[in-house]
Order: sequence, then structure tokens, then C-alpha cells
Amino acid sequence: MSRDGLFQALILVSVFTPLVLLFVLGVPSLLSRPLQESVVGRLVRLAMAVVFLGNFTALVAHAVSGAPARLISLGAGLSPPMEAFEFLVDSRSLAFGALSALLCGIVAAFSNRYLHRDPGFNRYFILFATFVLGIELVALAGSIEVLIAGWEFLGLSSALLVGFFHDRRAPVGNALRVFAVYRLGDAAMLSAAVLLHQTAGSGSLLMLFSSTVTEATPLPAGRATLIALLLIVAVAGKSALLPFSGWLPRAMEGPTPSSAVYYGAVSIHAGCFLLLRASPVLEQSTLAQVLAAFAGLSTALYATMSARVQADLKSTLAYGALTHVGLIVVEIALGLYTLAFLHIVGHMCFRMMQFLSAPNVLHDLHELVVEGQPGASHHLRRIPTRLRHRLYFFALERGFLDSLIDRFVVGRFQRLLRALDLVDRALCGGGPTGLKVAAEESLDD
Amino acid sequence: VKQIESELAAFGAIERRRILHAAYERFLSHHFYDALVQNPGSTAPSEPAFQAVFCLDEREESFRRHLEETEPEAETFGTAGFFGVPMYYRGATDAQPRPLCPVAIRPDHYVSERDDGEGTRDGQRFAFRRSTGPLFGHNIYLGSHTFFRGAIFMPLAGVAAIVPLVLRVLFPWLGSRLGRLSRTFAPDRMTRLSLAREQVVPPVGRYTGFTVDEMAEIVRGVLEGIGITGRLAPLVLVVGHASTSLNNPHESAHDCGACGGGRGGPNARAFAQMADDPRVRQRLAELGLSIPPSTWFLAAERNTCNNAFDFLDADWVPSGLQSVFDKARRAIDTVRERESHERCRRFDDVPLWYPAFATLAHVESRAANLAQPRPEYGHASNAFCVIGRRSRTRGLFLDRRAFLVSYDPTEDGDGHILGRTLAGVVPVVAGISLEYYFGRVDPTGYGSGTKLPHNVTSLLGVMDGAGSDLRTGLPWQMVEIHEPVRLTIVVESEPRLLARIIQAQADLERLVRNRWIFMAALMPHENRLVEITAEGFEPYAARYPVPTVRGDSLDWYRGKRGHLRIARIDNAICQEPVV
Repeated sequence: MSRDGLFQALILVSVFTPLVLLFVLGVPSLLSRPLQESVVGRLVRLAMAVVFLGNFTALVAHAVSGAPARLISLGAGLSPPMEAFEFLVDSRSLAFGALSALLCGIVAAFSNRYLHRDPGFNRYFILFATFVLGIELVALAGSIEVLIAGWEFLGLSSALLVGFFHDRRAPVGNALRVFAVYRLGDAAMLSAAVLLHQTAGSGSLLMLFSSTVTEATPLPAGRATLIALLLIVAVAGKSALLPFSGWLPRAMEGPTPSSAVYYGAVSIHAGCFLLLRASPVLEQSTLAQVLAAFAGLSTALYATMSARVQADLKSTLAYGALTHVGLIVVEIALGLYTLAFLHIVGHMCFRMMQFLSAPNVLHDLHELVVEGQPGASHHLRRIPTRLRHRLYFFALERGFLDSLIDRFVVGRFQRLLRALDLVDRALCGGGPTGLKVAAEESLDD
Repeated sequence: VKQIESELAAFGAIERRRILHAAYERFLSHHFYDALVQNPGSTAPSEPAFQAVFCLDEREESFRRHLEETEPEAETFGTAGFFGVPMYYRGATDAQPRPLCPVAIRPDHYVSERDDGEGTRDGQRFAFRRSTGPLFGHNIYLGSHTFFRGAIFMPLAGVAAIVPLVLRVLFPWLGSRLGRLSRTFAPDRMTRLSLAREQVVPPVGRYTGFTVDEMAEIVRGVLEGIGITGRLAPLVLVVGHASTSLNNPHESAHDCGACGGGRGGPNARAFAQMADDPRVRQRLAELGLSIPPSTWFLAAERNTCNNAFDFLDADWVPSGLQSVFDKARRAIDTVRERESHERCRRFDDVPLWYPAFATLAHVESRAANLAQPRPEYGHASNAFCVIGRRSRTRGLFLDRRAFLVSYDPTEDGDGHILGRTLAGVVPVVAGISLEYYFGRVDPTGYGSGTKLPHNVTSLLGVMDGAGSDLRTGLPWQMVEIHEPVRLTIVVESEPRLLARIIQAQADLERLVRNRWIFMAALMPHENRLVEITAEGFEPYAARYPVPTVRGDSLDWYRGKRGHLRIARIDNAICQEPVV
């Protein structure tokens, strides 16, 4: 049991350090006494080192012990026992947690310098601490409650960082869009959790998700399909799979390092990671598998087309990242779990590097001799001209996704709200409520 | 009381701020005038060991001052950093030729840098290696968003990216050292400029290279312009400047303005090569300008960001000059550290107690750091310009705020040299000054806002985040320490002559008349100064005493962060025994 004690301590460290950091940075700000920049920098670096070492030590210890996955309950010693605080220890969760911590640590060091003297310095690192907390919870979650908590932290900090420069209109509007999509995914996730509880009587992930105990899974087929489909919706929201892809390039509003860590490296893969965790459920439903493969493949095709024609660098990188996310989802749907995991790891590192050095592109171009602009490659020239032009237009307009959603979802929703508002006014005789009008306007953008 | 109240009411916020601003500008100008009028002048060596011609850039002010403090036998000059050589230039590793001259000039001449071993097997191997590196990177970049290439590459090798990531973000200094280490294994090739006129159609421009006559004209223009002709030392350094930084779409805004935002090294190199050419010297002698055979021009490029100082074509230095060359090199190595130290006092994130060698390492890591939005502060804080002999400003601590242009009024009776200098220099410095002025007072309108969300688009500019208008102008990180004041230009000249030249040049006249710049004339032979305004001449009477510091620049700026007053640095007292 002492080994369990060790893991318990390490996980406690990994999860609670960002939480402590959040409070240490946040409370003085709330009291209008924000900490000094150098102090914040040191605290963040220290915290990130601790989180990474906690994760990494646990990973090494786990690898050495060679034990299968185990469930660590942090609430076990309490009375009444709290099932909710359960964490799953296996090589994938620890590796994902450790790599996320490493990349977050790099981004923390990067941001510390990059945001030097920025008025939003404190706010940025508070949101960053929230993010680290979220990703550690998602990586190590052993019960669906923990997972949802982490998922929410991710979504919240993500949307607030997109709207980081809230003195301009565009970031706020785009943040709202991101937030709306995330809420949809969250709703699906929550429904899946409720269903899971109803069916299995517990939200513990080990018996359901861990690939080592697939035999024990006692889900009836219909339920399994439903849960899997809901999870796919949640994943699609978070990882920007079709038809939710439109928000990803719009999310590039924050400071460059936050774009890197969210949409290049870590957050965008959270969905893939969840799907990987949920693979035993996925395996029980051919329908869900086919659907996931279809979503992944169409996303990858759509994204690779769009990436080729975007004029600005961050959109190109966003669609580049999305291409791989789509491929990873396909790999998971096909049951190639190890490949998918390696793909996640490699892509996280590489894309992070690419995002962080994105502004360097003009510098690199001084020495790069590209003989003649290639235009359409010879593969593409085989496509008939008219179709090629159509495809080009389709890619350039990012698949018309945003306008479709605006027209068929937001537009209908607005009409519904207006109708309700009319009814409301007819019944109560009140004036227009400012909140609703403001919300509609920003969605119109 | 009623009257006071109504007057106060009429004196609104905008008017009040306008007056305060004008008062502050006046205060700064007056301090500057005081320093010039009260500077006893010439502490310059009568027979300098070596001379150095820099760009007029105000970032060279500190370098020149430290060079003179370190090596009192050195003499420095300033001129527009393209050294009179307007050209399209393509370096051995450049993808495209680009113009290196002020943006107003459209060059006719094309010059390329060639590998010494071109055609040999070694050279071919090098050319192959040079082209494969970037091409490999380009393929990886493409592969990162294509379907099949990416799917194979990413799971296999993507994780390797963690190495440069950690190195460049967490240990930038080490990263820059490793870069240098790799160059010692595969050293840069020996290259030469092909300057001579060839009967070949150039890729851009009209001619390939320069004729001897053109070269002589260029050399004469510069040497006469800075008033060095009668006093050439055995070794004359011609120093262009450039700036390198990573992750900085505004990198070229830190390069040489007189080279159209390009690197000034090639121009310096071309100039030195022309001035050393015996045919050119012979032609010059026929024109009445004789360069002593003992004089050697040596080009160099100074990196204003990481303070690297590279000598170009140093293998051509005659053996008789090696001892002077070594002396110059030693002095410059010291100056690199001292200058970094002075510059670092403006960076908030560098502790003031850092010793000089640590600040040099710091600026090196700054230039190699991916996360650094302020690799250097560029022209920020520029406020003054002096067109005149260095002896009038030598010994003054101008706090990297003054453009220094060398011009000798005693050798220019009719003012034709001054006319040429003003026409070339004033639009450049006034442009820089106003760009920073407006970038600072309206960072969203005239500037491009904060760098943090910038997104390079179409490989030509930046926009904010996911989509916005193209953002032109300087980013906030470059102008944040700038004091928005109009430029004060002091010309060492007879006021009447100066006024006549200004009248004759419409552009210049408009700048002065509409008060985009302030102009004053410093009498060549006396310590008097006359302000030149649209209304006429206004003699200036000294107002404030100028602080005098014994020792060197360090004794004045040590431990201070903000803008500093102009001071006189009196190191002659320390070094020479009082008789």
C-alpha cells in the first residue's frame, strides 16, 4: 500500500499545485493588490516545475512497478468517503499529464518574457493556472466527475484567453463563439455522465474506460452506443471536428503563446485523449466507430484543403493542427491506439514549436529559395479545372461553416428568442432586455 | 475673479496639454543647446591611430562615445549608413536581391556576393548544403499540414521538436552558442563582393557593378561629406549596422534606415573595397583628392541587437597595419561590453548590478530568444541631431538620443556639401523621429498596437489575431520608452548660409516652416547658437549649466533607468596628468 501512498502524494502534488497557484495569483488580484511581475514569474515557473516533476516521477515509478492501471482515490481516507476524487494511474494518463506539464512549463517561461510589461500580465497567468489545473484533471481523471471539472476549467480559461484583448470587438465576439461551441460539447459530456451513472451505478472510469479491463464492462448495447455518440459530440466540440471546426481559426485572438498551448498543442488534443480513454465504450458500438472515423476523416480532408489556401500564418497552423487531429480520431476509430497516442505526443511537440516560432517566418524567408511558385501541385492538376476552382473557393471560405451555422442555427435561435421576447412583452409589457439584445448583436458579428 | 474663471474656462484641456507639451520640447531643446554651446570642444587626437566611420544612427552614439573613451586615440565619424553606395544586393545565402539604399532612391546597380570557391567541388558541396537546409525545413512546414507526409512524419519524428523548443525558450543563450558552435564545424565560406562593372544583364536594376569613375565619385562624395579628406589615419574602419532577432516580424525596423531597412554591412564592404582600389585612388588623385598610400579602409558590420562586430574582408589588411588593427580590435571588444552595459539599463528585466560582460551575454541571448518581443529598443528616445564636426560633441553624454552626422564647415565655403548632406539626411532623421512620435502618441492609429496577438499574413505584414486590417506602423513594444518630442537639428554652419540652403530646398523648408522639426545653427568658430524659425533668426543665450562628470560614461549612467540629462564626460582629466 505504500506504493499507492506514493502515487497518491504525486497526484496530489500534480493536481493541487496549479490550484494553489490559482489562489496565490488570484486572491491578491481580487483584493486589488496584484503581485509583482517578477514574483508571478517565479511562482509560475516553480509551480510548473513541481507539476512536471510530480507527473514525471509518477510516470517513472509506474513504469518501474510494471503494474496495470490503478485507481487512486484521494477522498478515500475521508469520512464520508468521497468517490468523486478518483484518479486513474496508467502509463497513458501519466505520459499525457507529464508532456502537457512540460509544454505548459515551456509556454509559461515563454509568456513570462513575452508578456513582460503587458497590462494583462496577472490576468493571463491566472487564466493559465486555470488551464493547467484543467488539463491535469483531464489527464489524470479517474471518475467522470473529475473529468467534467477539468473539462470546464479548460473551456472557461480558453474562452477568456481568446477574449484576452477585450478592448477590441473581434476577440470578444470570437470568444463568445468559442464559448458557445464549448457549452454544446459540455452539455453532451454531462448527459453522458448522467447516463453512465444510471447504467453503471458509478462514474468511475476504470471499470468502463480503461483498456485493461474491457471484459468487465457491463453496458447494454443501446446505452453504449448512446454514451459513445454523446462523447463523440463532446470531443468534436473540444477538438474542433466537423461541423464545429469554424471556431478554431477564430480562436487565434489571444497572445501567441496562449494560441500555441491551446489550439496548437495541448487543449486541442484533450478531445483526442478523451476518445482514446473512452475507446472501450467506442469498441462496443460499430455505429459510433464508423461515425467517429467519418468525422475524423472529413475533418482531416477539410482542414488540409483549408490549410493550403489560408493567407495568414496562424490560420494555416490552426488548420494544419486540425488535419492531424482528424487523423488521430480516425486512428482511434480504427483501433490503432498506440499509433494514435504516439501521433498525439509527436504532434503536440511539433505544433507547439511551430506556433511559438510562427512570427519568425519572415526571417526564415530571407534564406529560403523556392524556385518558382508551385501553385497547384501535380496531384491537384488531375482534378478538372472547374471542380478545382470550386474546391479552392470552398477551402478559402473555410467550408462556409460559419455562415451555415449563422444562418441555420444562430439565425433560427435568434428568431425563436425574438418570438419569445414578443410574447414576453405582450404578456408583461416590459421593454426590451439589454442583455438579450447585446447577446444577439455580438453573435451577428 | 470672473475674468480669471472665464479665462480658465477658455483654456481647455487640449490647449493646456498643447502648451505643456511645447514647453517640454523647448526645455529639452534648450538643454541640448546648452550642452553644445558650453562644450569646450576639441579633445580629439591630432594624429589619430585609427578612425571609424559609423552610420549617423543614434544607436551608434553610445558606441562611438565608448570607443573614444576606451581608446582616446580613436576618432569617429558619422554619415548615412549606406555610405553613398546605392545598390541592389544579393548575399551568398539570400533568396532574393534587395535594394540597399534610402527608400527614395531607386538603385541602378546590382552587386552580388560570391563564394570564393565557386565552381570548385568544395563550393558546389557548400551550395548544395546551403540549399538543402532551408528546403528541408520548408518541406517539413508543408508536411505539417498535408495529409500523407504529415501522417507518417508526425508520430515518428514530431517529438524531436522538443529539443529546439526547450533550448530556444528555456536556454536561449546556450542556443545561440550552439548555433555558433555548429558554424565552427561548417564555417561560413569565404566570399567576395563582385563590384566591378560586367557586361551582363543584371536580374534587377540597369547595370551589374560600378565603373571606376562611379566608384571614385561615390568615395569622394562620402569622404568630402564627412570632412575626413585632409586627416586620413592609417586605418579607417567603415562600419555598417544591422540587427538580428528571432520571432520578430518587425526585425527590419531595427536594421539600417539609410539602407531601406536592410543590413548596412554590404554597403560598408562595397565602400571600403572601392576606396582601397588603386584604380579608384588614381582617379581620385586626378580629381584632386589624394588618399595616402598608407591608408587602408576596412569594412565591418555591427549588430545593434547582440553587439556582434564582424570585420569584413579582414584578410586583405596589409601586414604593416596588423598592429593598429589589433589595437582597434581590442578596443572594440571592450566597447561591445561597455555599450551593452549602457543599453541594458533601459531594459526593465536586466538588474542594474549586472557587470558589463554579463550584459553582453544578455544581449546575445536577447537576440536569440524566441520569446523576446523587445530584442532592442531601436530608435526609441531619439530627440536630437547634430550635423557638424565631432569635436563639437565629443565628450558629451547624449544618452543614445542624438543622430550624429559629420560635416566640416571649414572646408565647405559655398555650402554645396552642406546642401547635399541636408537633402540626404534631414528627410531620413525627420522621418524616423516622426514615425516614433506618432507611434507613441497614437499606438492604435499610427502604430500597430501590441505585438502579442500579431499574426503574419500574406508574408507581407501583420494583423491582430484571427482577422483585422493590416497593421502598419511601429508596435507598442518598440515605442513604449520613447518620449514623443519633435527632433531638434543643430547644424554647424553660418546661420545665413544655412537659411539660404533651407530656402532653396522645398521639402526642407516645409519641414522647418511647419515646425515638424526644430532647426538651429551652431557658429563654426565660436560658442554661439542661433535658432532658425519661420520668423527669422533668434540668438540663443545659455540658460542652464551642464553637469560635468569626471571619469567615463559609466559614472554618469550607473544605477539609473530613465532618460538622462546630457552631461559632459571629462575623462581627459583622469588620464592626463595636470601640468
